[in-house]
Amino acid sequence: MTTTAVPESIDDSPAPVTADEERRRHQRREAWRRRLPLLPALLFTIVVTQVPFLFSLWYSLTEWTIVPPSDREFIGFGNYTDLATNEFFRSALWTSVLMTVVSVLLSVVLGTALAVLLDRKFFGQGFVRTLLITPFLVMPVVAGLVWNNQILGSAFGVLNWLLETLGFGSVEFVSRFPLWSIVTVLVWQWTPFMMLIMLAGLQSQPDSVLEAARVDGASTSGIFFQITLPHLRPYLELGVLLGSIYLIQVFDHIDVMTGGGPDSTNVPYFVFQRSIGGGWRFGQASAYSIVVVVFSIIIATFGLRVLSGLLEGEDAA
Amino acid sequence: MAQVRYDEATRIYPGTDIAAVDRLDLDIADGEFLVVVGPSGSGKSTALRMLAGLEFIDNGSIHIGERDVTLVPPKERDIAMVFQNYALYPQMSVAANMGFALKQQGIPKEERQRRVAEAARILDLEPYLERKPKNLSGGQRQRVAMGRAIVREPQVFLMDEPLSNLDAKLRVQTRTQLADLQADLGVTTVYVTHDQVEAMTLGDRVAVLESGKLQQCASPREMYSRPANRFVAGFIGSPAMNLLEVDGGDGSGVALGSMTVPLDGEVGRSVGAHPSVTLGVRPEHLALVPSDGDRTLPGRVSVVEDLGSEAFVHIDVEHRGETTQIVVRGEGESDVRRDDNVAIGLGGPIHLFGPGGERLN
Repeated sequence: MTTTAVPESIDDSPAPVTADEERRRHQRREAWRRRLPLLPALLFTIVVTQVPFLFSLWYSLTEWTIVPPSDREFIGFGNYTDLATNEFFRSALWTSVLMTVVSVLLSVVLGTALAVLLDRKFFGQGFVRTLLITPFLVMPVVAGLVWNNQILGSAFGVLNWLLETLGFGSVEFVSRFPLWSIVTVLVWQWTPFMMLIMLAGLQSQPDSVLEAARVDGASTSGIFFQITLPHLRPYLELGVLLGSIYLIQVFDHIDVMTGGGPDSTNVPYFVFQRSIGGGWRFGQASAYSIVVVVFSIIIATFGLRVLSGLLEGEDAA
Repeated sequence: MAQVRYDEATRIYPGTDIAAVDRLDLDIADGEFLVVVGPSGSGKSTALRMLAGLEFIDNGSIHIGERDVTLVPPKERDIAMVFQNYALYPQMSVAANMGFALKQQGIPKEERQRRVAEAARILDLEPYLERKPKNLSGGQRQRVAMGRAIVREPQVFLMDEPLSNLDAKLRVQTRTQLADLQADLGVTTVYVTHDQVEAMTLGDRVAVLESGKLQQCASPREMYSRPANRFVAGFIGSPAMNLLEVDGGDGSGVALGSMTVPLDGEVGRSVGAHPSVTLGVRPEHLALVPSDGDRTLPGRVSVVEDLGSEAFVHIDVEHRGETTQIVVRGEGESDVRRDDNVAIGLGGPIHLFGPGGERLN
């Protein structure tokens, strides 16, 4: 009978493992073969980011001042509860929010406008595109210094020279408007980044859809607001989120331009001031930095979700 | 509804010297279904895009109805276009896609909904009105593109290979529906395709384009039975017409291998004026017959394509000292096999083309 033949053949089989087991082993081997080359990088990343993070977490639960040296003392969530009442921290938090939101929004709007202008054929297109990208390639410290001394400064600044030439008095921009001076530089640096993302979005839009809209009677602005902008939505979200993640941790510009004067100290700079920047209160500074990390993780989670949505959308198209 | 007229319309793409569409003259009657057909690069899509206003017209003019639309922007031409990839608005629902053009015209919401619902009913799209295009099948997307065109009740429909992204079976089915729909609506339609079966089955008239030039514009039957030139003869018909270079001779007849095809007096005189002409015979006008001296042509069977209802027999024959292949349509379930020796006899009209490709008879 054929029904008895099946168990018999398994009993008689000389191999000690079943086919299922063999397949599982093969899959495990295959999985390791993929994981192995990544392992050194992974270990390195864990050592330089996750281990210090755990230390910070521990420090944030202690009262620990280095200068003058004192013993580390476990105080639980004391540093965190202090945050709510610390006026300087609240001011830094507000500066962080204002600086990030305004810079991101302005650079997204300007970047989109430039991308729309650049997304059409004209003579010298490649040259103009390269020029527009340049600010993003400048180091943050250099950007801060150049703007501080050569553009906004009262001694050598081009802007003040222009104002004086036109008969207006010179303005000490950085000390009178510290926050807005820094925002200006951030927008200048981040507009090209937003422009590149939006340009990718515009170029992923099929021409025929725009032609269909033209034939259907939509005006140029109608096409932009009804067709192009909804298409750009995931790209806008991505730009806003990536920009937020980067701009919430701005440090260089503040350090070289204002050195953290009133109105321009954001949370990262505040953490610096409280720890190695002179405060030497490591326990408290660690608590601030943990708060920044938590905020960044929340933003990044949304960012990754948007990014995966974007990729899925392209698969379906 | 309106007639459409191309008057020496020319399009030369920037950076090129050769016209993509070269002095195109076409008169399309009110309510007519005109199919523009040609190989790729023939300028057929460009001709359609010129009518849509998506392509600049370098010379000549285009009229819709009595109106010269040469310099009129697309949105003021009162046309609706169906694109090859459908070009649906991906972020909008099916209903919003179909109502988009009406919304641009400022038509009130109730009226829009009524017209969209009506079009959806005609196209069996009612269950899908709230879906996004990416959640539709290819055939459904095609119907949405059609729906977007018909809700507008435009003067002219423009269709740019609307069926070429569908699978073979759906294409045949949709083709029939399309012909039916156009006949019901009676809207003047210009339809571009590279598929000559679509051209022959859909069109009231067919225009054949090659290298930007109009080769012939006629009814499908006329196009098939009296192709105006050698290009049309070879392009229309599947399998293609047998085209062979033959000596003009004294005009009393032409020699196809060892077979002589006699010619009438007038045709003979025009053939006799050229040293060499092209002889064209469709496969169904040839037959396998018993050998009969110089009235038949001997050959050897190389391939038999048996389709059941009919069979196309590819036969190697000696012609002008070279081996050439001729296709003959035979009965289905035929007994002919590869390497059989057969004789070919003429059983229908022949076509003769001069050295420039022009028709002689």
